Amino acid sequence: MSSDVSNPQEELSTLFGSYKAEWLSERIFDLFTEPTYWPELMTQRPCILEGGRGTGKTTVLRLLAHEGQYALGGRQADTFDQKPFLGFYERIDTNRVRAFAGTEIPESMWIRIFGHYLNLRLVSAVLRFTTWYSSHLGRSELISDELCRSVAYSLNLDVSPNQYDLYKNVRNGLLKLEAEVNNVGEKVPSGLSLQKAPVDVLMEGLSESLPDKDFFFLFDEYENFSPYQQRVVNTFIKHSGTGYTFKVGVREFGLRTRETLNPAEQLTSPADYVKIRISEKFGSAEFADFAAQVCNSRLARLKISDPTAVLEINQILPGLSEEEEAHRLKVDEVLAEPLRRLQPNLTPAQWKAFRDAPALEQLLVIRWAEVHDEPVEKLVIEYLEGSPEWTNRINNYGYALLFTLQRGRGRGGIQKYYSGWDVFTSLAAGNIRYLLELVEQTLLLHLESGGRLAEPVDPSVQTRAAQQVGRKNLTELEGLSVHGARLTKLVLGLGRIFQLLALKPIGHTPEVNEFELIDSDNTSPDVIKDVAELLPFAVSQLALLRKAGTKVSNDPSDTRDFDYRLHPIFSPTFVFSHRQKRKMGISSAELLEVISSPQDAIPALLARRKRSVDEVLPEQLNFFEAYFGTRSQSADSE
Amino acid sequence: MFGTTPEERSAHSQDWENRATGVEFIRLAEEIDNVAKFTWNGEEASLTLRNSAALREFWSNFSGRVFYLDITGLGHHVWAPLLRAAGEVGGDIRVVYVEPTDYTQSAAPTEGEIFDLSEKITGIAPLPGFASFRIAPEDDFVLVALLGFEGTRFAYLLEMVQPPADHVIPLVGAPGFRPEYPFYAYHGNQSPLLDTRGWAAVKYVTANCPFQMFATLKEIEDSASAPIKIAPIGTKPHSLGAILYAISRQGDVELVYDHPVRTAKRTRGASRALIYHVSSLMVPSATVA
Repeated sequence: MSSDVSNPQEELSTLFGSYKAEWLSERIFDLFTEPTYWPELMTQRPCILEGGRGTGKTTVLRLLAHEGQYALGGRQADTFDQKPFLGFYERIDTNRVRAFAGTEIPESMWIRIFGHYLNLRLVSAVLRFTTWYSSHLGRSELISDELCRSVAYSLNLDVSPNQYDLYKNVRNGLLKLEAEVNNVGEKVPSGLSLQKAPVDVLMEGLSESLPDKDFFFLFDEYENFSPYQQRVVNTFIKHSGTGYTFKVGVREFGLRTRETLNPAEQLTSPADYVKIRISEKFGSAEFADFAAQVCNSRLARLKISDPTAVLEINQILPGLSEEEEAHRLKVDEVLAEPLRRLQPNLTPAQWKAFRDAPALEQLLVIRWAEVHDEPVEKLVIEYLEGSPEWTNRINNYGYALLFTLQRGRGRGGIQKYYSGWDVFTSLAAGNIRYLLELVEQTLLLHLESGGRLAEPVDPSVQTRAAQQVGRKNLTELEGLSVHGARLTKLVLGLGRIFQLLALKPIGHTPEVNEFELIDSDNTSPDVIKDVAELLPFAVSQLALLRKAGTKVSNDPSDTRDFDYRLHPIFSPTFVFSHRQKRKMGISSAELLEVISSPQDAIPALLARRKRSVDEVLPEQLNFFEAYFGTRSQSADSE
Repeated sequence: MFGTTPEERSAHSQDWENRATGVEFIRLAEEIDNVAKFTWNGEEASLTLRNSAALREFWSNFSGRVFYLDITGLGHHVWAPLLRAAGEVGGDIRVVYVEPTDYTQSAAPTEGEIFDLSEKITGIAPLPGFASFRIAPEDDFVLVALLGFEGTRFAYLLEMVQPPADHVIPLVGAPGFRPEYPFYAYHGNQSPLLDTRGWAAVKYVTANCPFQMFATLKEIEDSASAPIKIAPIGTKPHSLGAILYAISRQGDVELVYDHPVRTAKRTRGASRALIYHVSSLMVPSATVA
């Protein structure tokens, strides 16, 4: 292996491999690239930033925090002083917030206890900042002794004559609460503070010390709050005090309630907060631009001595045209026998014109004739005449035919290429974590194959990397939520179905990778409820993507109002189209059967669509042979 | 004190009950929402697991006698608070555990799910009485994960706990209950081990030895650059060592547990029965020589 970098694998993994913001530590600040919605977060209004895992929520919230703003300003006190806002970052820790639940006391009591905990946490966050402010910027303390006494009084803590004592007493307050919550079956916690009151007192005082600043409380992983806890926090948000507001990062479906503690008040957008859905902010072009900036800034940090080195990601990842891909997939071998039979039936001029046409189009004409049982020479003549019908067929089926070239037993290797920057951004579908993972794995595999960092990566290497990333994320899906095992089985089932549908496109709907729920009135309510609970998890854990469907119902939460698409990150692993194209109807019962008994449900579902499962698994899925009850490509070729 | 599950190995206490004399058997009759109902000798008691005074009072009924807590058929959320309360009352406490002959293999495994141990995970939540608010979410910390066969559980913990890079120390049960088990642990957990680079920090602890676990956790905490969180998702003897250590540290280490829902027949057979004399570890700042 050759490279300009002394240890390129390690450097790549350092720059691209730490794609979880929480793993980046301080480097998160140096590697930050502003997303397009960044300015919207800096206003004085509460914001709810909604996006799936890996869409960058933690990164932007940590950059809004005072440590992030300080780093973005070059760690200069003067620059920091000019920032119009200060943020206090709070990650919601499940292991903590789930302590505030149980049947020992009624929910109304838990609400009071949790409100007190939240007061302690928010005051603690501000005190951490004021300590940081003094130590990093060498400034005098921001909160007066009198204010410390007032906050302690409001929190029901011991007298706190200064900032040091207040911080110590807040910690002690948390310890006391810990002991009381651990013993809640014996005695109800005492000495609780009035929800939000101490925070208002503290922030009012802080505003006097820093009159030109807005203050943001930054809640990350809001979905970890239980519904009653969200009602408490929603009340905070609804009634943000003077000078301070809330910025919340939450997964899709993570905002489980918009209620506040006042039954008459709901948290509504845009009246109470600005909702920023990352998927809506990132159209495919915007995401590609943003992702290119992220990747190029990281590539620029690679220590490569060659001044002519290619360090633009879209040049490092070249794609293939459909025709180039067809030839790589040996379309000429597939065409050889049908063409040999066809040639005697055409005039020399027709033969030459047909052979001059793109290979995929030749194949389409031949396959069309086979499936529709029509004389191929007749279709060749129609095709050569340039009928609009054929233009449509080429548009609809040309790309889909690529999935059929390496079909069948004994065909090892790549069955379909997934290469090129556009394809990679499409596979990531707006998810920057997926994209970084694709780039890292591609470059590592490229190095392993003897390539150099400064040169373009072969499409076959890109494809193998994309297969690995899809498979890795498939196996990781299981550990992402309490529904992980079922979601993995859902992806395995749908992936296999879409793979098999892709193998026989002619005569059917091509490039199917979406579904809509079609249920009869007789469907069991339990089945509908089960699916309605599962699908939001599938979307929030990125097993599926969803978009508004064509059906109209009166219930906005109805799962059946949406079209669902298997996340394209899985398409190279299963070998189906990554493009957003066409959907099939599936009943809720069928969907559950695909999860619970795939070996029966998948053949039955395909049979209803006039397909069968007599095709081998792609070799990258051979681990799942037993699961599907079928053979893999590699096993078949042994 | 014991509980039973559909697993064959949890039936041994009942066998003893049928044969033993001079022994009082306290059986877990039911457990709902942190309230455990026990029956013995025609008597019964419902214990709220987040009520340390009530748990201590319960143990006081049996003071002066050797106490055997059989954790084989009890969930962590039941035996952990009971063990702590027993330690607070004092006396001769012995913990019983029966190894299975084998674990059930999944009929349709996906990667990370070779053994069909858990139907699902209920989710991260503190064990009753073990909530800790000391390591703040923003603090640096080290996650010590006691690995079993199910990589899913390790992956889920990592997703939820989000330890900083290079701050994961996996503990593998080796020697295992059977010679091949450490390999299953690596196989099942390979993806999260690779992702976190935790493979480079793996330490081995005898799978059925809580005392070695206790000592290992002490070593780790003594040399760690930050406070530790312990995830007891491996063998029950490992979990016992972790809980004993957490008790001795009086809340300064945090336990992180995912509360799996166990499959009805997750193991086959009953192998070695082990009795651990744990009393000396049930005091603050206890050490293992």
